[in-house]
Amino acid sequence: MKIRRLSAAVAVAASGALLLSACTSPAGNDEPAEGESTAASAAADGPCKADIGDVTTADGEIKVSNEDEFLGYNSNTPETYSTYNTAVTDRLFSGFWYWGVDGTVCPDEAYGTYEAVSEDPLQVEYTLNDEAAWSDGTPVTYADYLLDWAAQAVTEDGKVTDDASETPLFNHISGLTLGDYVPEGPQADSPDAKSFTYDYERVNADWRILINSPFPAHVVAEQAGVSTEELVTAIQDLDMDVLKKAAEFWNEGWLSQPGEVPDPALAPVTGQYDFKADGWEAGQYITLEANDKYWGTPAATKELTFRVVGADAQIQALANGDLDAINPNGPTVDTVQQLEQLGDAVKVETGQTLTWEHLDFNFGSGVFADSLEAREAFAYCVPRQKIVDDLIKPIDPEAVVMNAREVFPFQTEDYEATVSEAYDGRYDEVDLDAAKEKFEAAGLEEGTTIRIGYAAPNPRRAAEVEAIKASCDQVGFDIQDSAAEDFFDKDLPNGDYEVALFAWQGSGQITSGENIYSSTGQQNYGKYSDETVDEAWKTLSSTTDEAVHAEQRVVIEKQLWDTLFGIPLFAHPGVIASSSSVSNVRATAAQGGVVWNAEQWSRAS
Amino acid sequence: MLKFILRRIGVSALVLLGASFLMYMLVINSGDPLKDLRESNAQNREQLMAQRAELLRLDDSPLERYWDWLSGVLGCFTGNCDLGVTINGVQVLGLTQQAAASSLRLITLATLLAIVVGVALGILTAIRQYSGFDYTITFSAFLFFSLPVFWAATLLKEYAAIQYNNWIAVGQYAPWTIVIAAAVVGFVLQAVLGGSTRRRLVTAGSAFAFVAVVMFVFNALNWWREPTFGLAGVLVVSGAAGVLVTALVTGLRNRRVLYAALTTTVVGVVAYLAFAPLLVNQPSWLLLAGLFVLTLLVSAGIGAAWGGFSRRQAVLVTLVTGVITSLLVVGDILIANWASFLGLKSRPISTIGSQTPNFTGDFWERVLDMGTQIILPTVLLTLVSVATHSRYTRSSMLETLNQDYVRTARSKGLSEREVIVKHAFRNALIPITTIVAFDFAALIGGAVITEQVFGWKGMGALFQDGLNAVDPAPVMAFFLVTGVAAVLMNLVADLAYAALDPRIRR
Repeated sequence: MKIRRLSAAVAVAASGALLLSACTSPAGNDEPAEGESTAASAAADGPCKADIGDVTTADGEIKVSNEDEFLGYNSNTPETYSTYNTAVTDRLFSGFWYWGVDGTVCPDEAYGTYEAVSEDPLQVEYTLNDEAAWSDGTPVTYADYLLDWAAQAVTEDGKVTDDASETPLFNHISGLTLGDYVPEGPQADSPDAKSFTYDYERVNADWRILINSPFPAHVVAEQAGVSTEELVTAIQDLDMDVLKKAAEFWNEGWLSQPGEVPDPALAPVTGQYDFKADGWEAGQYITLEANDKYWGTPAATKELTFRVVGADAQIQALANGDLDAINPNGPTVDTVQQLEQLGDAVKVETGQTLTWEHLDFNFGSGVFADSLEAREAFAYCVPRQKIVDDLIKPIDPEAVVMNAREVFPFQTEDYEATVSEAYDGRYDEVDLDAAKEKFEAAGLEEGTTIRIGYAAPNPRRAAEVEAIKASCDQVGFDIQDSAAEDFFDKDLPNGDYEVALFAWQGSGQITSGENIYSSTGQQNYGKYSDETVDEAWKTLSSTTDEAVHAEQRVVIEKQLWDTLFGIPLFAHPGVIASSSSVSNVRATAAQGGVVWNAEQWSRAS
Repeated sequence: MLKFILRRIGVSALVLLGASFLMYMLVINSGDPLKDLRESNAQNREQLMAQRAELLRLDDSPLERYWDWLSGVLGCFTGNCDLGVTINGVQVLGLTQQAAASSLRLITLATLLAIVVGVALGILTAIRQYSGFDYTITFSAFLFFSLPVFWAATLLKEYAAIQYNNWIAVGQYAPWTIVIAAAVVGFVLQAVLGGSTRRRLVTAGSAFAFVAVVMFVFNALNWWREPTFGLAGVLVVSGAAGVLVTALVTGLRNRRVLYAALTTTVVGVVAYLAFAPLLVNQPSWLLLAGLFVLTLLVSAGIGAAWGGFSRRQAVLVTLVTGVITSLLVVGDILIANWASFLGLKSRPISTIGSQTPNFTGDFWERVLDMGTQIILPTVLLTLVSVATHSRYTRSSMLETLNQDYVRTARSKGLSEREVIVKHAFRNALIPITTIVAFDFAALIGGAVITEQVFGWKGMGALFQDGLNAVDPAPVMAFFLVTGVAAVLMNLVADLAYAALDPRIRR
C-alpha cells in the first residue's frame, strides 16, 4: 500500500510541531490553529484502527462522497444491502469486530470480546461490554443476538433451518447460513445477559466474522406487541404468531422514504454516530451526528455528511471544498492525474483493493478442457507484467502481478509465505519459446481460436485482451475478444468461452474459495475438478486452526498453479483523496471504503 | 375549441398508452436484472436470486407485469396511486415526486432564460444579418450546441466555481482584467449596435470607458464582497426597464403608456419601502408569492387607469414593468444579504448539490444558497437551449422579414420598431412556439447528464438508475412524467398558436 503524500504531510506536521514546541522559531507569529480537535493524528500502525488517544468531539462537519442514496437503517436485507448503504449504517452500529485495511479481522474491545472456548466441537463465547447500550438507553444484550440469530435461522414454516435451503422467514441477506451452523442458537442465562455462547454443529472456519452487530430486539418486540422477554421466549419456542410480526417489521419497518430520517425510537444506534434530525435531504446528502450516548472513544468530529455524488464529479468537488474526502469508484489514470494536479491541497492515497482480476480456463469444453499443455502454452504467453505496467501502474505505481488467489499481495506476510511455496515464478515473464513448445506438445493447430469472454462494456478488459492477443497470436493461438453484455447470464453458464476474464470480490472469508475451486462449488463456472484441491478445502474448512489454514492454502494454491485452474492477474487499484485540512483519513482495501474509520477524522481549522 | 382540446387529450392518452406498453417491454428486456448477483460469490446466491426474481416478478409473463403496473397507475385517477417499488424497496411514487420537483426547479429557470435570451438573440441576429455580430452569435450558437455537456460542465466548475471562489475570497479585479473586460464589452456593443465606422468607434470608446470606471469603482467599494444596490438603484433600473419596454411595445411617443410604466416603477419602489420591514423580518415564500400577485394586480390597475385608447398595450407594459420591478426588489434584498452570506459560506459556488448540507442561514441567505447552487447547471442548460432557440428564431424571423406584407408595412411608412415588433415578430413566433414547447418536454429527459455531473438527483437519475438495474418501476415513472409533459406542452403549443394566429381559432 502506497502512502505517498500522507507521509510527507505527517513529516512536515511533525517538524512544524517540533519548531513550535522549541519556541525558538524566528517566525514567532506562527500561532497554532485555534479550536483544533483534540484528536491527534497518529501514524498508522498495523491494519486496525490507529490509537488516536483521548478524543473530545469537536464541532464541525466533514463531508464525504457516497455514490448512492441512503436506503435505510437495516442494511441486511437484499434490497438495501449495498456498499453505499453500509457506508452509512456501519457508522451507526458497533460490533465485535471490523475489517482492517488489509482484510484482517480486528476486534473492537470497547464493544465486547469473543473467543473460541472449544475448537472441536466449536464453541464461541461472546461477552459484551457492560456499558454497551443502544442510544435510547436500553443495554445491548443476549436478546438482541438471539433475534439476530433468529433472522438467519428461522424458516417460513416456523422451523429452524436444516440445510439453509428453505425459504427464510426473515429477509436476511445472508440467508439461513448461521442457523445451519448453530441450530440451537446462542445460549445464555437470561434475556438481559451480557454473555452468551454459540455451539456450532460443525466447525466453521470463518467463525470470527459470523457474529457482529445486531438490531435492537426491544424495538422489534415492541413493534410485534410483546415485551423483550416475551420475544426471547417466542424465538426459543418458535412461536410463529409473534415471529411473523417481528419478521414483518424486521423486513420492512426500517425501510425509509428518501429524506425521512428514521424515528429515533425505532432506530436506536450503538455506534459513534447517530442520525441527525432533519439531516437527510433526498438525493442530496445525509448527515450523521456524534452519538453522545456512545460509551467508548467518541467521534472526533461532530457531524459527518455523506453527499450523493457520482465518481466523475468528486474530484472537482474536493478541489472546491464541497467534499473533504472522496473514494471514486473505478478510478482511472485520469482520476489520479487530476488529483495530482490539485497539489498540496489534497492528500492522495493509492493502493490495492480486495477485488482481483483473473483469467479462468473452461474445463467443461474447448481446447483447454483436457490439455494441461495447452493451458501452459497460454499461460506462458499471457503478458501479465505488461498488463500491470500499462494498465494498473499509472493508477497505483506500487501495483504488482498477483501470484495467488486466496491471499493478496498487500497481505505481505501471508502472501509471501504462500507464494514462495506454491509458485515458482515460471509464468512471470512471457516465454514465447516455451509457449510454442507446449503448444506443439498439446497438438494444437496453428490458429486455434481462443475466445476470451468478459462482461462488456469494459475498456480495461478490452485492453487486456488486446495485449494478450498481441502476445499469444505469435504462439499460434487466435485470440478473440468475445465480450458480451450478458456474459454472466449466457456465455459463462453455457460454457461458450475458452477463457473467462473477470474479477472476484474478496469477501475476507477464509472459506469462500471453496465455492469456486471445489468440484461441486456453485461458482466453479469452468467445471474444474481436482481431488487434491477438494480434499484440501475440506480439511481447511473443518478446522479453526490457523496453522492448518495456512498449510492447506499452500496445497490449494500449488495445485491450482500446477493444474492451471486459471491465471491471476492483479488486484484492482483503489484511490482515495482527502482535503489536507482533515487528518486521519486512511485508505483501506476492504469493502467498507474510505469511511471505515470516519469517527477518527478531524479537521485542523 | 373545447372539443378540439378534448380530442387532442384523448388521442394523446392513446399514444401514451401504446408508448408505455412499448417502453415497459423494452425496459424489462433491456438487460439482466440478476447481473450483479450472478457475479456475486455469496453462499446463498441462489436464494438471493430467487428473492430478486420474486420481487421483480421475473417469472410472471410480461403482459401480467405490465397490466399490474398499469392498474397501479390508473389508480391515480381514483386516489390510490401505486407506481410500484424500486429494486431497493423504495416507493417509486414518493421518489418521483422528489425527482420531478428537483428537475423542474432546475429546468424551469433554464427554459425561461433560454427562451428570453435565445429569442432576443435570434431577432437581433436576424435584423443585423451578415454583420460581425451575426457571425459571432452564429459561431457561438454552433459551438455551444455541439458542446459535450459533461466537458462543458467540467470547465464551468473549474472557472465559474473553483476559480471564482478563489477570487471572491479577495473580490478585487486585477488591472488587466479591467482593461480586457472593458475592451470586450466595447467590441461586442459596437458589433451589436452597428452603424458607420465613426459611430462604432464612439460606441466602443464610451462603452470601454464606462465599464472600466464601473469596475474601478466596484474595486474601490469592495462591491463584490459587500455589494449594495439600494432604493435608488431599484428606481433607476426599473425606470429604465419601463422605458425600454414601452419603447418596444408602443414606442415612446405614446405618452400614456410611458407614464403608466413610470408610475408602476414609482409605485413599486414606494411599495418596497412600505413592505421592507415585513420582507426583512418575516420573509417566507408565501409572502413573496402574495406580494407578487399583489404586484400583478396593482400593475394591471395602473395600466388600465392610464391606458385610455391603448389600454391593452398599457396593461401589458405595466405588467412587464411590474414584474421586472419586483424582481429587482428581490434582487436588492439578496444583494444586501450577500456579505452575510459570504460570512456563512466562504466559497459561495458549489460544484455539486442543490443546496449546502445543513445550511443554517435565515430565509434570504437560504435563498442565496439555493440560488448559487442552481447557477452552474442553469447556465449549462441555458447555453445549449439558447443555441437552438436563437437559430430557429433567426431563420423564422428572416423568413417573415422577407415577406411581402413586411415590405408593404415598411412602404406605408411604419417605423422600423412597429414593423419588427408588430408585423414580423408576431408571425415569426408561431414556429418558435412549437420548438420551445418541445424543448421543455425534452429538457426534462435531456437534463440527465447535467443532473449527474452536478449531483442533482432528479428525473435523470431516476431513469438511469432504474435502467442500469433493469428495474421497470422507476423508468416507467420517468416515462410517465416526460410523456405527460410532452403531451401537455404540445397542447400548450396548440393553444398558443390559436392565440398568435387568428386564422387557427376558427
